[in-house]
Amino acid sequence: MTNKKEDIDVKLIKYIQEGLPVTKTPYKDIGQALGMPEDEVIERLKKLLESGKIRRLAASIAHRKIGIDANAMCVWKVPKERVDEVGKIMAGFEEVTHCYERPTYPDWQYNVFTMVHGYTDAECEAVIQAIREKTGLNDYVILYSEKEFKKVGVRI
Amino acid sequence: MILSDTDRKILHRLQSNLPLVSRPFQELSKELNIDEDTIIERIKFMIEKGYVRRLAPIINTQAMGREATLAAINVPEDRIDEVSAIVNSYSGVSHNYLRKGKNCNISYNMWFTMSAKDDEELHSRLKEIEDRTGLTVRSMPTTKKFKIGVRFKIY
Repeated sequence: MTNKKEDIDVKLIKYIQEGLPVTKTPYKDIGQALGMPEDEVIERLKKLLESGKIRRLAASIAHRKIGIDANAMCVWKVPKERVDEVGKIMAGFEEVTHCYERPTYPDWQYNVFTMVHGYTDAECEAVIQAIREKTGLNDYVILYSEKEFKKVGVRI
Repeated sequence: MILSDTDRKILHRLQSNLPLVSRPFQELSKELNIDEDTIIERIKFMIEKGYVRRLAPIINTQAMGREATLAAINVPEDRIDEVSAIVNSYSGVSHNYLRKGKNCNISYNMWFTMSAKDDEELHSRLKEIEDRTGLTVRSMPTTKKFKIGVRFKIY
């Protein structure tokens, strides 16, 4: 990928990262603003999605506002040799939106992180209970968010 | 809650990719059996009222060549406002939450994600937060990804 192409992609992302025009022909409108034909806008977005630079071209929902209030970060102590197996099981739950392995420290031994979203705490906890049953893991902490200091999408 | 069933249908679909065709909302109108003008009008309404934060590309920081991490700090109760203001002042910070253990006490209470253009910038910013607050910042970058994709069940 040449630098020039990257620059145009970055310019395109920067222009739309706050929101696409909600019009009948959004890609044409973006193209007009950037001096680019509609086809090129579509083609570039396709490539950015295929290469994974853009995960999705989609709506970010204010989940709290639509009633999905509960957001539990559940951290698990998982033996190294079980991380792959367990990670796949956890990722299989629809309510688990993120599942990652992360490093440990002397004062932090939990290595697998799951984010569970639900309409209520009880709903999140039912999912966590189901994960416990399916994995046999019992060493975990549920961390609820007490306060949201900042929540914005990633920008470049 | 003032969202109708139509709104919910649109909202649910909008969490997946918008079609890359000249008239994407016309395409959605065929899928959802809701006319194009209504779709456009309801999306505008949901953005204006804040149900939809934005309809935009969701950027993969790593694939864009950026580095990211989840960081945690053990912040004394009486310094929470001060420290959160410092953390939030960095544009690379996309989330910052105060969290509390439910079934077990844990020392780390402030959790934030930070991205930067490279590893060096990321570490220098975390170090800067340590210097400005006098507190230890624990960086926990992802070592393995099993799932990422916030799509909510809407019902």
